[in-house]
Amino acid sequence: MDLNKRQASAVPQQNSAGQALCFVDVSVERGGIRILDEVRAAVPMGSCTAIIGPNGAGKTTLLLALLGELPYQGHISFPGYGGRRPRIGYVPQRLSFDRGLPLTVCEFLALGFQAGPLWFGVSAALQKKTKETLAQVKAEHLTSRRLGALSGGELQRVLLALALQQQPELLVLDEPASGVDFQGEHVFCELLDALRLSQGFTQLMVSHDLPTVTHHATHVICLNHRVAAEGPPQLVLTPENLSAIFGLHMGLVNLQSMPMAQAGCTAPCCQPVNEKQ
Amino acid sequence: MNDLVWLYDFIAQVLPLSSMQARFMQQALVALLLLAPMTAAMGIVVVNFRMAFFAEAISHSAFTGVALGMLFAVSPGWTMPLFGLLVGLGITAVQRHSDLASDTVIGVFFSAMLAFGLAMVSRDRSLARDMQRFLYGDILTISEAEIWFLLLLFFLVFIFLASNYNRLLYAGINSTLARTHRVRVQILQYLFSGLLALLVMFSVRAIGVLLVTALLVVPAAGARNFSRSAGAMFWWAMAISTSSAVLGLLISAQDWARTATGATIILVACFWFVASLLLARLRRN
Repeated sequence: MDLNKRQASAVPQQNSAGQALCFVDVSVERGGIRILDEVRAAVPMGSCTAIIGPNGAGKTTLLLALLGELPYQGHISFPGYGGRRPRIGYVPQRLSFDRGLPLTVCEFLALGFQAGPLWFGVSAALQKKTKETLAQVKAEHLTSRRLGALSGGELQRVLLALALQQQPELLVLDEPASGVDFQGEHVFCELLDALRLSQGFTQLMVSHDLPTVTHHATHVICLNHRVAAEGPPQLVLTPENLSAIFGLHMGLVNLQSMPMAQAGCTAPCCQPVNEKQ
Repeated sequence: MNDLVWLYDFIAQVLPLSSMQARFMQQALVALLLLAPMTAAMGIVVVNFRMAFFAEAISHSAFTGVALGMLFAVSPGWTMPLFGLLVGLGITAVQRHSDLASDTVIGVFFSAMLAFGLAMVSRDRSLARDMQRFLYGDILTISEAEIWFLLLLFFLVFIFLASNYNRLLYAGINSTLARTHRVRVQILQYLFSGLLALLVMFSVRAIGVLLVTALLVVPAAGARNFSRSAGAMFWWAMAISTSSAVLGLLISAQDWARTATGATIILVACFWFVASLLLARLRRN
């Protein structure tokens, strides 16, 4: 119970120290439908925070609001960066682009960095830097491949390299492992974990995949238009919470493997669910 | 008095063909050598942004530009590019602020422009006769003043592209990604649309309303098949466009051909495209 109380006091804006960013009453309305309804959540500094929720819950919308792509009501603050907007690296869910476009991976990674046009190729210094970044995501062999000829997993790594090339303080990923098989997904997440630890960025990702979240996330935000629960995965990913959010029994999460197996969620909006028990 | 005489004389010496000894042919060649690289480079971005239909709508607004000139007794040389610019920026603004699909927005503009232009033209018989010039273009009657303006546009286009080519490519691939990289996509789109509108209006003068989009799209499309990198695609588009313009002009002046210059240029470019298709197929096999 003590732990529960401590978690409850970590609700955003009451204690913003150690938090990279806070969503404060963020609402988004599109075409008369309220997609996000006063979302309050925080992302701890240096954490791997996962946003989970059913389809249409507004997960991607929340990321787009953060990226400034959508108008929203409310406030998004960055207490961990002295109030200024951090450098954000973004890995989109699916890059829908013209696959017939002749563009090498090296050129793609140089687009946002090289001032001079690509007509005369990529500068030697940038080529070197690009190779180094690709090596970080174990994809140096893709340097001169055509972007349109990459497989889903390869493209994912290149997009991660593009985000890393910006030396992000906050890395935002939308379904980082969609379109990648289970093995590939696990490897991708391990890679992300290692990079996060070595480079010290804060990671915020949307995920559908509960096993991935249980293995890799250090903080979870359950979203279904509102924040249904928030906290460390062992506290949040309880069968009660998951069935409340997803509307069905989630047998995938092995609670035995979690240290705080039976702890309930502390978020205020979660309380009615707990009371019923 | 004629500042470009040295250039025309130089062309006459470099190309000692009988057809190239006429001043109007020399002027046409200079105009095409300015126009073709511009359309090639801008065409790559047009293909990348899928703006072929946009270019088509601008070119068809040429009718209205001319008609407005007649209405207000101003030279069409001014009203055409100005009106094109206005239509280009108008379409971009409506596309940004409307939920309609972009081809629907352009379709509405396109029909309105064309209908208004044709309505105006149909009132005036002398203008109706002039329309053929706009439909097929007439590079052979290009004036010295127009060549100077093309030169100015040439510098504008290449300064803009040299400083923004990568960002345009980025925004064309994925605008959200580009924005997180601090690319100001909105401003870029307006600037590009404005410049493209001016370029299209000048190309209408050279190649005609009906074929102007081809001058933008065909070299870029051929270049896509020939190249494997963005750098190579740029140079291929340049080579296809410029060689088609020069060859098209020379062929159209031959006694055995005597074809419209604009159409001949596009035909040569289309040969290039077919060759690029064959190469792409060979590569795949």
